[in-house]
Amino acid sequence: MIEQNNVTQSGRGEGPAMVFVHGFGCDQSMWADVAPAFEESHRVVTYDLTGMGQSDLSAYDPRRYDDLRAHADDLKGIVEALDLDEVVLVGHSVGATIALLAAQAMPEKVSRLVLVSPSPCFMDDAGEGYRGGFSREDLEGLIAFLDENHMGWSAQMAPTIAGQSEGAEATDKLTQSFCRTDPKIARHFARVTFLSDERQAFADNLRPALILHCRHDALVPMEVAEWMEGRTPEATLRVLDATGHCPHMTVPTEVVAEMRAYLSQG
Amino acid sequence: MDGSRKVDSALTELVEDAPCGIVMTDADGRLLFVNDTLKRWLNLAAAGGVCGQRLPDLMVGPGRIFYETHVAPMMHLQGFAREISCFLKVTGGDALPVLLSGVARRNGDGKLVRCDYTIFDARERRIYEEELRLARVKADELAAIVRTSPNAIFRVNDAGQVRSANAGAETLLGTPAEQMLNQPVQDLVHFATPCDWFDRAKALCSCASEAVLETTDAEGRHFELTVVPIGEAAEGASMDYSVVLRDITARKKAEQRLKVALGEMKHRVKNTLAVVAGIARQTLPTEIRDAFIGRMQALSRAHDVLASDKHELADVRDLLDLAAAEAGGEDRLRISGAQHLTLPPEHAQSLSMALHELATNALKYGALSEPGGYITVECELVGENLLRMVWQERDGPPVSPPSRQGFGSKMINTLLKFDLGAEVRIDYNPEGLRCQIEFEVGS
Repeated sequence: MIEQNNVTQSGRGEGPAMVFVHGFGCDQSMWADVAPAFEESHRVVTYDLTGMGQSDLSAYDPRRYDDLRAHADDLKGIVEALDLDEVVLVGHSVGATIALLAAQAMPEKVSRLVLVSPSPCFMDDAGEGYRGGFSREDLEGLIAFLDENHMGWSAQMAPTIAGQSEGAEATDKLTQSFCRTDPKIARHFARVTFLSDERQAFADNLRPALILHCRHDALVPMEVAEWMEGRTPEATLRVLDATGHCPHMTVPTEVVAEMRAYLSQG
Repeated sequence: MDGSRKVDSALTELVEDAPCGIVMTDADGRLLFVNDTLKRWLNLAAAGGVCGQRLPDLMVGPGRIFYETHVAPMMHLQGFAREISCFLKVTGGDALPVLLSGVARRNGDGKLVRCDYTIFDARERRIYEEELRLARVKADELAAIVRTSPNAIFRVNDAGQVRSANAGAETLLGTPAEQMLNQPVQDLVHFATPCDWFDRAKALCSCASEAVLETTDAEGRHFELTVVPIGEAAEGASMDYSVVLRDITARKKAEQRLKVALGEMKHRVKNTLAVVAGIARQTLPTEIRDAFIGRMQALSRAHDVLASDKHELADVRDLLDLAAAEAGGEDRLRISGAQHLTLPPEHAQSLSMALHELATNALKYGALSEPGGYITVECELVGENLLRMVWQERDGPPVSPPSRQGFGSKMINTLLKFDLGAEVRIDYNPEGLRCQIEFEVGS
């Protein structure tokens, strides 16, 4: 599990732990401007979701990972393997949903949740009067779109996957080594991410949760943030005066400050 | 002074009228600058400008998601993005496929402050890529068939050396694919005979589209080997061949069983007919005995014709030859036109019986009852598959219509109309009986 998900640890050897879960499209490096801020106070764990980044791509069985709960299982496995207690799970976007599902699977291990730009469901549901932000057509279009943008992938990434030596780092930088993965996995994970409807899981939330939402999030409408605030038990919504879907990258200082303030509350 | 102004105006022209779109955004993707080229491409004047918009707002649906989940993180993490394929909205027109590349600008503290993008028109490249993608999908589908085939499939060069082999080849020959590479295929399939089978098959291929041979290995398995030239060689390049080795043991065994059963069946039918003839000889009164036995013998001979042909199709000419023998030779029954016409077994039997009746009748009452009389039989195909056979008796005694229909003519009608679906017309012309039979063959 530790190797499969390229688990990286830093910070204190003991004490409360924080595990960071990245979202769709990238890997644990997304947390580079946030996670280190907690190294003095916490044991900090980052990892790559199975199928992403430097995880073991061969472990990605599409049948198993057809449900976000499989990723939540992996997270539970990591927490157990590292023997962590009173864990703060920090997730971004779909990673937030994975963190929330994992907290339901092991509530006794998790103290709090920090959900950065979460969305329980990206798809509109007219019947329920829920506006997730995208029609099914938009989201199906994304799948085809990913196909196009991964055409050159195998040539660019194959050396890295094959275990290229550290010394070859310079050539890596020439290619787009970030945010790239096997096209088949990307396509499948996109489907699972954007077509999942986990509204019920949010409504069944078991642990105290901080929801950080950007005022001008391009993917998650403000209505969704309000829906989560209203329906998620023990949730606190904080709206950041920021634009885009990745506040942990664009306004990391604000994100860290909000998290600290929330975690210091009794 | 004048010189630097010239340079300034050239630079402005370079940026505004570049052969690509140029866009500048802040760290959050808000548009700070859009050059004239892109404004023109997207017809932004008609849309009332781009005030307050972000770069993803120019993109069509999925591109927006890709920007937020991939492009923005890439700009932050690695400081650039390259050749992102997406569609931009065009006011009053179809979306424009473009390739977008960007570079991040940071301040002294390393903080991202600006992103610069160039945007290239990708309409032509897109068409090409789409063709490529479809070709790849098709190739993948075909490759899957080869990969999963239980047959051994090789691609060999002109010298017969293996260039690639599928999993089926590994299984059938029990050799890993990498060990087969560059080995002569006729050594790998060593049990095929003659040992230079590939060279011979190749020679055959020069005048036929493929070469097929069958062979057996030491364990008694039967194989079919097919060698086909891969007709894609460029001018002057040497030809490659596909070699397919198929295990046909099961089929061969089934064929063998069928052959034995069929032989047994033929033997029994022949015996039964002989027994019936024997019983008739001992039982029937003399006046009908010969006619009955004659008919039985005709049936038996027709059966022989069928039994001797392994394809189970009977040659019309063979059936007519039997009738000629009965009639007393080919002078007396003159056949023309029955070349290369075959009939399925059940039709052959009926026709053979009918010919026997006609011949017997001619011998008793018709043209053959006099020494100078003879019969002509003409066969021809009318149209695609209608066989017309005309039986014409000549130089016999004068003919008059019979007062009653005899058993022979009843049988002719029954056999031919019902079994063959034939049109039968019998004319009792004074100069000789004429019988015309028309029926469909090959249906």
